[in-house]
Amino acid sequence: MKLPVCWLKEFAEIGNASPEQIAEALLRVGFEVEEIIYDGADIENVVVGKVIDCKPHTNSDHLHVCMVDVSSEILQIVCGAPNVQTGDIVPVALSGAKLPGGIEIKPGELRGVMSYGMLCSGKELGVDDTVIEGAEVDGLLQLPKDTPLGTNILDVLGKNEYVLDVSVTANRPDCQSIVGLAREVAASMGVKFNPPVNKYKMTPYGGEYVPTVQITSKVCSRYTGRLIKDVKIAQSPKWMRDRLRLVGVRPINNIVDITNYVLFEIGQPLHAFDIRFIDSGIIVRTAAKNEKITALDGKEYALPEDATVIADSKKPIAIAGIMGGEYSGIADDTNTVFLEAARFERKSIRVTSRKLGLRSDSSARYEKGVDYGSVDEGRERALALIYRLKAGKIVDVKSDDGVAPPPKKVIETSAAQISSIIGIDIEKPAIEKILVSLDFGLTKAKGDGIICTVPIYREDIEDFADLSEEVIRYYGYDNLKPTFLKNAACTAGGISTDEKRMGDVKNILCGKGLYEIMTYSFINEKASDMLKLPQADSRRNVLKLRNPLNEDTAVMRTQLVHSMLTTLALNQSRGNDDIRIYELGRVYMPKGGNELPEERFVLSVGLLGNNEDFYSAKDIVNSVLKYFTDGYSLVYSKQPYLHPGISADISKDGKFLGSFGEVHPTVAENYGINGKCYVGEIDITALLGFAKGDVRYKTISKFPCVNRDLAIVVDDMCKAGDIIDIVKDACGDSLEDISIFDVYKGEQIERGKKSVALSLKFRSPEKTLSDSDVQRLMLGAIDRLKAEIKAELR
Amino acid sequence: MKEQINKLTSECTAEIKAAATESELYAVKVKYLGKNGLISDLMKNMRDIPPEERPIIGKTVNNARGKLEELFEKRGAALHAAELEAKLASEKIDITMDKDTAVGKLHPLNAVRKRLVDFFVSMGFDVMDGPEVETDYYNFEALNVPKDHPARDMQDTFFINESILLRSQTSASQVRYMEKVKPPIKMISPGRVFRNDDDATHSPVFHQLEGLVVDKGITMCDLKGILDLFAKHFFGEDTKVRFRPSYFPFTEPSVEVDVSCSICHGKGCKICKGTGWIEILGAGIVNRKVLRGCGIDPDVYTGFAFGFGIDRIANIIHGIPHIKLLYENDMRFLKQF
Repeated sequence: MKLPVCWLKEFAEIGNASPEQIAEALLRVGFEVEEIIYDGADIENVVVGKVIDCKPHTNSDHLHVCMVDVSSEILQIVCGAPNVQTGDIVPVALSGAKLPGGIEIKPGELRGVMSYGMLCSGKELGVDDTVIEGAEVDGLLQLPKDTPLGTNILDVLGKNEYVLDVSVTANRPDCQSIVGLAREVAASMGVKFNPPVNKYKMTPYGGEYVPTVQITSKVCSRYTGRLIKDVKIAQSPKWMRDRLRLVGVRPINNIVDITNYVLFEIGQPLHAFDIRFIDSGIIVRTAAKNEKITALDGKEYALPEDATVIADSKKPIAIAGIMGGEYSGIADDTNTVFLEAARFERKSIRVTSRKLGLRSDSSARYEKGVDYGSVDEGRERALALIYRLKAGKIVDVKSDDGVAPPPKKVIETSAAQISSIIGIDIEKPAIEKILVSLDFGLTKAKGDGIICTVPIYREDIEDFADLSEEVIRYYGYDNLKPTFLKNAACTAGGISTDEKRMGDVKNILCGKGLYEIMTYSFINEKASDMLKLPQADSRRNVLKLRNPLNEDTAVMRTQLVHSMLTTLALNQSRGNDDIRIYELGRVYMPKGGNELPEERFVLSVGLLGNNEDFYSAKDIVNSVLKYFTDGYSLVYSKQPYLHPGISADISKDGKFLGSFGEVHPTVAENYGINGKCYVGEIDITALLGFAKGDVRYKTISKFPCVNRDLAIVVDDMCKAGDIIDIVKDACGDSLEDISIFDVYKGEQIERGKKSVALSLKFRSPEKTLSDSDVQRLMLGAIDRLKAEIKAELR
Repeated sequence: MKEQINKLTSECTAEIKAAATESELYAVKVKYLGKNGLISDLMKNMRDIPPEERPIIGKTVNNARGKLEELFEKRGAALHAAELEAKLASEKIDITMDKDTAVGKLHPLNAVRKRLVDFFVSMGFDVMDGPEVETDYYNFEALNVPKDHPARDMQDTFFINESILLRSQTSASQVRYMEKVKPPIKMISPGRVFRNDDDATHSPVFHQLEGLVVDKGITMCDLKGILDLFAKHFFGEDTKVRFRPSYFPFTEPSVEVDVSCSICHGKGCKICKGTGWIEILGAGIVNRKVLRGCGIDPDVYTGFAFGFGIDRIANIIHGIPHIKLLYENDMRFLKQF
């Protein structure tokens, strides 16, 4: 809400308070001032001067050399304007002056003659005829002859003004007006508030045609119309034009300007119809099926069925509260005006405005809520202004329909109740003083009791809690005394086990040298194609946003691989090497219908760099899996985005837990990644179901261990994991540890075979193993290896 | 004979001194004291000596052997020490070289989130996790924001359909929690929120932490108490907290909370836009209608709620100039924290 200080002063006696002081007073009571705008910010050092001598420049056919009196001195200025004459009163940009567009004026020579400033046109000052008469002529801006010399041009233009851009919260539609804010400023600064006084005289009704009004729509609680005859369309006075300009409205003519002026000053939207456009009576009704209207903006709109229109007997003449129909507005030859002031439900205006994609100052105001009292106040203000500006004759006739305003709310409470949620005791007199300054009515009440009547425009006030807010915002939050839950019971808090476990997973990954990343939850729908997911893949079933920002953030992710690959690609493109990253985030699996999706926690891992290979990815994945569970199995992965021979799918008890491996070269290319990279994705929600409980202690054997090596030759395709599984199975509990320390292919080994060297550690929990015990276990293992994978001893 | 012993002794002593390495010294030892060494040979010649002289000569030889052995030991120890020292010196390496076994780090946002959660948990707050894809009911209606209420303009919400949306505030968790848990309530709900807002200072994805306390006799002063503590803990002991009246549909009274700028200490700087204050959160006394909607009697219980942006707190703590950096995941950024 734009609040010009000059306009504010009409209603709040703030004296010479600075814009900063006003802003501070507003902030204190809950209105943030987003910006203090100085209307004359782009003009500096320009004053009124008189041309006392004007001679043609001897070295030019169009320049003049002028002597200019600016009161404090007389300056020689070379001027190129065609209309310069001795005796002119004009704006003079002095040496060092600033003009719109960043122009600076410095003394300089023009064809051999010194010039100490510049005489200005309206254009050079960035103004047009709505700001000051004559601003648009070709040449100097000619000011009235009685303008005192040396006056700051900003005062002449009406631009020496400050405007506060006030942020008004949604609960205070009454402060979407100059008068509403003035009331708050006055109360906050403790100065007098002068409500608008509306005086006008009416012309007796002489049987002129006046439309009757009938409301059939439920969203219109009140509609009033007044007849203005003998209208003289003209420019409105400068003070009104200046104020409109300060709130960002372009002045048009006296009648239109008055409706806009009242919209900003009182907060009541008005509409002025040319009576010639209304065929007999006015009906406020719901739009008919397939009804259309061409609005003032010249566009045709198909009206939604729940829209409300102002119609005459033949056609809709306005979209209620939003915009008038084409030709319905004021023309230069308008003679009789039908002035509308009405109240429409904010919800209805909001919905219709959205559906049509059509907004106006009026709809913006209605959307926030117009109170019951505002219709009469706004209309009376407009009539008083019409009378004052002599814009027409107000006919003594009424065209009204609608329900009476609801009775004023009365709240019965007490000082103690109001204080109870604040936490400090505020005495009854202090509370009453604040309520009175805010226009609440007080009824005498016994003892601590408070009975107050709520002003009609304060629709946000419902009970004592609302009064607490009114009181404390004026009493001052700085007076609160911090206490530490002195009345509250003790509670046990903490994070859930799942969250703790996910924290542990992050610690493990950080320990493995991975950095955590965080990416958006929504991605491009094309991600599924980039990852080569088959058409039937469930991850293609995504939740789509109805109003996404753009294509890249249009659907909720069902996997984290896309974001991981995107992040790897970004880092690679920026020259970052050795990338080890992970993300633990949610995926959103639709359940269909109106059910919320299933949100699952998923871990993604990404590796890119010369030191990375499948096994570094496996090492990381293993550390996470082992945190949760010991047994799981790996098979070559079926993920279409992974290399079919350098990747694995993980499962346990038939449940799929995730995949990892080298990214398929085609997919890497889709993301613009050069060279090899590795990704993994693990379903953490599934793993949480396998999480280990508290570990039970197992006895540590006090007997010595026996180490043995075993070298075998097996088929090249034989998997290390299978060899280890066979040996473990054959040796049972006495095998404490087993690892592969060498795999060799080449000389001395038959083609298509490999030599695998294993290191075994035996230890029994019950006794010292003898050589023969160990030998027996070794032989048992060798027999199994020979039988099951055709291993030969080396 | 005696001369011979003296001669050998002095020759051996000289050779011990001359030995430069342990192995040279060993060779000398073998030469003189070995089984067939020169000194041992003397003993073998003993039978050529008259029997009466034998004890004396024997003693002399043994004395000489004893002396020499002592010298060998001393010299041996010295050589060993010198050789070890030389070996260690030769093994000296360039300690400015690195073997890269870096430890990764949490994302700065999550690191701050963890600190925040720890802070509130230490005061007995329960941590609640709510769905990010929410119903209109929990995100708006149950929080006293009916459909087409102007307060909905405060937040641009992403919608999936008429009744399902991406939650625009963690306040959505409040009602879910109060439906399940009855007072006394102390809970926080940190998490991801979404708004259809994307420019230099806004990210469509960001994080909030919602706090809720409901019990008998909870007041604005209690809210001030907790937030004072919070501000001092995260922004420094000398941090001041300021309440400004504001509006949220689910609290009444509502306040915006500013903390004194920890960069300029209130003098005014770029971070606080010259005001000396940084706006960090919204809060208030839980609206009576919200409590009633959750089956909690507002005439018996009162409560306060607050909510702030975790991203904003992280950015203030670390001096991160804009929120977008958090979601780019440039390694050079991630490695800093």
